[in-house]
Amino acid sequence: MAYSFPEEVLEHVFSFLSSPRDRNAVSLVCKSWYEIERWCRHRIFVGNCYAVSPEIVIRRFPELRAVEMKGKPHFADFNLVPEGWGAYAYPWIAAMAEAYPFLEEIKLKRMVVTDESLELISKSYKNFKSLVLTSCEGFTTDGLASIAANCRHLKELDLRESEVEDLSGHWLSHFPDSCTSLVSLNMSCLGSEVSFSALERLVARSPNLRTLRLNRAVPLEKLANLVRHAPQLVELGTGAYSAEIRSDTFSSLADAFSACKQLKALSGFWDVVPSYLPAVYSACSGITSLNLSYAAIPSSDLVKLISQCQNLQRLWVLDYIEDSGLEALAASCKDLQELRVFPSDPFGAEPNVSLTEQGLVSVSEGCPKLESVLYFCRQMSNAALIAIARSRPNFIRFRLCIIEPQAADYLTLEPLDAGFGAIVENCKELRRLSMSGLLTDRVFKYIGTHAKKLEMLSIAFAGDSDLGLHHVLSGCDSLRKLEIRDCPFGDKALLANAAKLETMRSLWMSSCSVSFGACKLLAQKMPRLNVEVIDERGPPDSRLESCSVERVYVYRTVASRQRLDIPDFVWTLDEDSSMRYS
Amino acid sequence: MDHHLQLHLALSNTSTHNPPPNDEKKRKFDESFSDDELTANKRTLPLLLWNDNRNMDSGCVDDVGVEEDAVVGWPPVKPRMRKVAEHHRRESTASNFITVENGGGLNSKYVKVEMEGIGIARKIDLGIFGSYQALTATLMAMFGKRREMYKLTYQDKEGDWLLAGDVPWERFVGSVRRLKLLKKVW
Repeated sequence: MAYSFPEEVLEHVFSFLSSPRDRNAVSLVCKSWYEIERWCRHRIFVGNCYAVSPEIVIRRFPELRAVEMKGKPHFADFNLVPEGWGAYAYPWIAAMAEAYPFLEEIKLKRMVVTDESLELISKSYKNFKSLVLTSCEGFTTDGLASIAANCRHLKELDLRESEVEDLSGHWLSHFPDSCTSLVSLNMSCLGSEVSFSALERLVARSPNLRTLRLNRAVPLEKLANLVRHAPQLVELGTGAYSAEIRSDTFSSLADAFSACKQLKALSGFWDVVPSYLPAVYSACSGITSLNLSYAAIPSSDLVKLISQCQNLQRLWVLDYIEDSGLEALAASCKDLQELRVFPSDPFGAEPNVSLTEQGLVSVSEGCPKLESVLYFCRQMSNAALIAIARSRPNFIRFRLCIIEPQAADYLTLEPLDAGFGAIVENCKELRRLSMSGLLTDRVFKYIGTHAKKLEMLSIAFAGDSDLGLHHVLSGCDSLRKLEIRDCPFGDKALLANAAKLETMRSLWMSSCSVSFGACKLLAQKMPRLNVEVIDERGPPDSRLESCSVERVYVYRTVASRQRLDIPDFVWTLDEDSSMRYS
Repeated sequence: MDHHLQLHLALSNTSTHNPPPNDEKKRKFDESFSDDELTANKRTLPLLLWNDNRNMDSGCVDDVGVEEDAVVGWPPVKPRMRKVAEHHRRESTASNFITVENGGGLNSKYVKVEMEGIGIARKIDLGIFGSYQALTATLMAMFGKRREMYKLTYQDKEGDWLLAGDVPWERFVGSVRRLKLLKKVW
């Protein structure tokens, strides 16, 4: 091929491609491009840890420096995946420890990470820089101590929302005095108190620290001391935001915040005493992200704070903000892009706050850049949804949770098909949708017809028949992840759209009408899909084949379909076409 | 592969030709799919067990809040947020944002609070607090005063005025009728 560029030139060109999709596309052009690309790929993203094996990854990409991986399906966040299902990080960590001595970054989501894994990370990679564990579990503060003690050049330790067994706060003191490289520390999910003096010294000797997210145990009285050492902070998560009202505490806090000229994000705010909120006002004009999802304070206090933040782009808040507060938000924060409203009393049957569909309507009307919403409320109407869809055709993510399952349009008592239909019809760029309320097969027809860019769909207590599922699988061209619970969807739609499943990352169905027989058939038809029957009632072949399975998780994979870590409540198809577990 | 689903021959009566009548809030689930008893029972569970039997115990603060979700994983709130919601129900720091007309629920107990030197009295729901500490912190925040300058007194059901803090919290909540914050005299 005399006309092609020398390898070095191609490699140089490829180095400008950062997105995994672009790199994947490049590698498919021809064999020589595949070869060149694989030798110079340094970052990899594995969306499903079981879609591929460590051996395959290592064989193909010998020069990785950063690995990002996801384990359990999203519904694991809501206890729908039984404990012990899988997603263990250790086999990956161990394999990579041998293959990639220069690995610098590991990012894991919804995986089980043990102290052993953390210790191995801390000792295997001389140049390790960044560890991000999102919604992970399985490790203790001892594992964190290994990371702190051994990673000499650590820049980032981010434990967002992980479940850590908190043995003591002593782990933080393992950071050696020589460690001055920290850029980001997020320990907000931890319970125990760390030694404040160790924390203060760590912050003081980290000139590059940009992100500091404290845990609840760090008292407000001491926050000013920390902030004073780090006026260069861009993101701060406070600890508990309550203290006795004292003017000296207040003024030192206010002074410390006024020195932070680069602050863009605030979070934390457990146990808020509203009188202390004005201490952050000096920083508000620069704030673009505000996470108040733990702040139980009245709407008026929330509004006082929010209206100071004219440049706000992202707001996470509890429903204490109420419709009136959201109206105020719509009036003052014209740059708002993302809003999440969480329920303060998700299990109460009666509303405890005055938050309705009106709040979402106000924000949709008033904020022209709003593109991402997660909203919990107790009533909804088609009229509201239609108004929202018309005001805001630029939605990319729309997740609505009406707390009562199958709640109808409260004005007309009709299903909410028309409302969600308007959303998918108007919002042509919609990539993610979560639905709730009373929904028939009709809404799925709308989705299949219009939601051509939809990548992730979450459905609960909806639909009437297989037709609903069929509309989605046959119509949504860009669908990658589909998660369904408690819907009357079953075999016919699944089997008729078997090929579609190979174009997706995964399909989750729990408490639906998928029979064991259909699962076997699907697995037989599609050798590159792993069809996991997750059923805690014992072997599925001890029941009728027509019996519905509790859960089925289908994902494409190039790894073996018999994963070695399979627990005794998961069944996959064996070579001899019987459903067995190894 | 058969892409032409003969779906109009499905068992369900809710096919595309006949959308369900508008006045039917509850769909006929047992007609929608096969007569597998297990699944049929599961289908009706959410409708039957969605309940409001929260806070059956009255004001017992040592109770570790058990999540009363009859339906697993619904509403889809992450564990961390659930714990926070539980905590809020016991120890909120603001008293006057419960806007429902019938009060805050089974435990609510509204009492009048006066502060010496301030003409306007407030009302507070003792049911949302779990301790004296939480109550006084909130009162101080409400009135914007410093804790060490005031002492909390209350009038019990016998009409006597007492210093708050001597009896266990639950007993206090049971017997208190009014609160008054008095300036400490040095």
